[in-house]
Amino acid sequence: MGKTILVVDDSASVRQVVSIALKGAGYDVIQGSDGKDALKQLDGRRIHLIISDVNMPNMDGITFVAEAKKLPAYKFTPIIMLTTESQEEKKKQAQAAGAKAWVTKPFQPEQMLAAVSKLIAP
Amino acid sequence: MAFDADEALDIFITEARELLESFEEGLLQLEADPDDAETINAIFRSAHTLKGSSGLFGLNHLVGFAHVVETLLGHVREGTVRVTPELISVLLPCADHITRFVEGVAEGRPEPSPGEAAEAEALLARLAPFEPGAAPAAAAAVSAASDAADQEPDGPRGWYLRLRFGPDCLRNGMDPLSLLRYLTSLGTIDRIAVDDSALPEASDLDPETNYLAFEAELSTEAPKSEIESVFDFVRDDSDIRITPLDSGEFVGRIESMPDRDRIGDVLQESGAVTPGEIDEALRIQRERTRDSGPVPIGQVLIEEGIAPSAVVEAALSKQRRTADTRSGDTQTIRIDAGRLDRLIDLVGELVIAQAGISVNDHLSEAQGEVTRLIDEVRHSALALRMVPIGMTLRRFERVVRDVCVTLGKEVHLTITGGDAEMDKALVERISDPLLHLVRNSLDHGIESPSDRVEAGKPAQGQLRLNAYHDAGNIVIEVSDDGRGLDRDRILAKAVDRGLVAAGATLTDHEVYDLIFEPGFSTAEKISNLSGRGVGMDVVRRNVAALRGSIEVDSVRGQGATIRIRLPLTLAIIDGFLVGVGGSSFIVPLDRVTECVEFPTGNRDRDHMNLRGEVLPFIRLNNLFGLDGDVARRQSVVVVEQSGQRTGLVVDALLGEFQTVIKPLGPLFSSLKCVSGSTILGNGDVALILDVGPLVTEYADLERVRHAGTGNGHPSRRRPVLAGQPVT
Repeated sequence: MGKTILVVDDSASVRQVVSIALKGAGYDVIQGSDGKDALKQLDGRRIHLIISDVNMPNMDGITFVAEAKKLPAYKFTPIIMLTTESQEEKKKQAQAAGAKAWVTKPFQPEQMLAAVSKLIAP
Repeated sequence: MAFDADEALDIFITEARELLESFEEGLLQLEADPDDAETINAIFRSAHTLKGSSGLFGLNHLVGFAHVVETLLGHVREGTVRVTPELISVLLPCADHITRFVEGVAEGRPEPSPGEAAEAEALLARLAPFEPGAAPAAAAAVSAASDAADQEPDGPRGWYLRLRFGPDCLRNGMDPLSLLRYLTSLGTIDRIAVDDSALPEASDLDPETNYLAFEAELSTEAPKSEIESVFDFVRDDSDIRITPLDSGEFVGRIESMPDRDRIGDVLQESGAVTPGEIDEALRIQRERTRDSGPVPIGQVLIEEGIAPSAVVEAALSKQRRTADTRSGDTQTIRIDAGRLDRLIDLVGELVIAQAGISVNDHLSEAQGEVTRLIDEVRHSALALRMVPIGMTLRRFERVVRDVCVTLGKEVHLTITGGDAEMDKALVERISDPLLHLVRNSLDHGIESPSDRVEAGKPAQGQLRLNAYHDAGNIVIEVSDDGRGLDRDRILAKAVDRGLVAAGATLTDHEVYDLIFEPGFSTAEKISNLSGRGVGMDVVRRNVAALRGSIEVDSVRGQGATIRIRLPLTLAIIDGFLVGVGGSSFIVPLDRVTECVEFPTGNRDRDHMNLRGEVLPFIRLNNLFGLDGDVARRQSVVVVEQSGQRTGLVVDALLGEFQTVIKPLGPLFSSLKCVSGSTILGNGDVALILDVGPLVTEYADLERVRHAGTGNGHPSRRRPVLAGQPVT
């Protein structure tokens, strides 16, 4: 049974690319289209890793991370933020919210896999 | 990565252009002199460096191409391939090709165009026949590729990792074990230890807090930056140190690196330290500087365990060397020697023109100013040619080392006064005579260690090269603490050779001067080092050709000092203008010690009383066979040569004169007492007297005269110059 990763991004194509890559590496993937949706997806489920975009409608990534960290089940869940080069400030906010890992957009699927495998085993 | 590849590439391109320039220069030089080992070495190095640095930038085309050229030049260096005009004419287009390619890289084309690739192939094909055994070019290119890989040393390297993860890392979702596991994807963890010293009593233990630290040894082929990136996510709250287990490789790499100004760049480029670590060290440096005064970055790097001290030391000395060469660069400006000579020529003309003004003494004030200005111009123009002699002297370190190995002697070389400046042309031309003197000291002067110990001296001999300015001259001394000159043996030999009459009384200096006589050598064994008696006289001739003089001081058993005295420049001298009959002569001012009135009553003698000492004198009008009336009151210009004073009897003292030396034509090359001519303000030509030969020649003549008929009334003696064969 593979580990489960939640991928949160408002862009369906990004979710798709990431999911394919992660599934190919042996992870199970569930998706969320924004922060609100993602919180719903969590729903007490066992999630090993969260990958989240920052800028999203309804609830942005940082708020989502902060909310998720409040839930006891996800206190220790590693979170990777998807940031762009110009978002140093956001990156800091995300780190403060508890997302210590990041992958800078645009990224190659391999970069994403490398970041993931630093944090959890497939 | 923050590593600024563009900047580094710029540096590479500048460097490559310089290398190519010297490469081409070397090839042309080689065409003129195919056996010049130094040039061969230089162009080999150029090609080698070019290959090495292009490897760092992944310019594989260049690496492959330069490798073939380098290999071939390697054969040339070892003498297995001979330099022929054909070889040069293939290598030159190779240089052109590399230049074009480098310029392409500069414009952002790191790969060769199809045209360039074809050209490279054609050139390699032309080079191939020159290879010993004519290996096909393709094979060479393949080995070039593997050689390029050597630049990034392959094979796993050992790294020591000290990992102190932050207490919050678990809460942040960062599992240290997961990171360690990921580490294994880079290489093998050979050893790992858990440091649980921070672990509290079970009752105080917070299960959410990380208390553990790890130490691990990782062998991996990955560069340090990649290892570091594993810990990117925990970097901020953890203390991660990655140092090489074996710093030797990095030290080596730093040493072979091109020059860099900043220690950070050096360390980064070597791969021993990553840009992130440099940033961190800089931050720590700032903090510590604020708290407790300035701290060198090197110290921070070592104390924080970021880099091993050996590596930091290597980088520091690299930085120092860079600064040295940099400051060396600012000291020397490359100027086309032709232009410089033209400038000096012009200044010479100016000096002559100014002398013309001085004939007309109405404008004395304005003229004074002009004189001052011209003097300044002269000095600054000449300064263009001035270079420190240090470089030349330092070259002897190697000579001393090599000769010592050959002779089994122990000698320590001390160089002082390397910053004394002299004319570049002189520096170049004095280097060979100096080399001979150094070898001579090592060979004949300094004894073997056992002899030295027997004589109660330290086994290690001392050789000293010293340069200093002295009264418009530069003096270069070669001194050793060896056995010194053997006065008796020199004298015996001189008598034997018929150079000195038996029973003659000579001063020490006169005896020592004999070693500069042609064909004189006292060494019992002729060694391959310091020649077969062709040495010292050649040295003296060379020095004399530079208008210099040479003398020896020696204390038996304690050593010898050979002193070369040279003018600072060959172009203009301060002269002393004298009138003899209707003619004018220049005596180099630095040889003049004083002027006295010619005592009446000395008319028939050839020596006079100078404050109780005998001063021999030369009547210039007799010497040069000048007609014309002798002035009623004559003067004596006292000149000094090798400690011996001689008077020159002249009719008029005309004062100091800035003398622009115009060489005499080849017709007069055999003239001994005249070193050149100059043009006076009124257009007349004045001959410049060469005091050294003048004094010695005259002494010889005297000797002949006394030994001969003995009826030599000065005024009837045959003039020296009239008797010279003019060829």
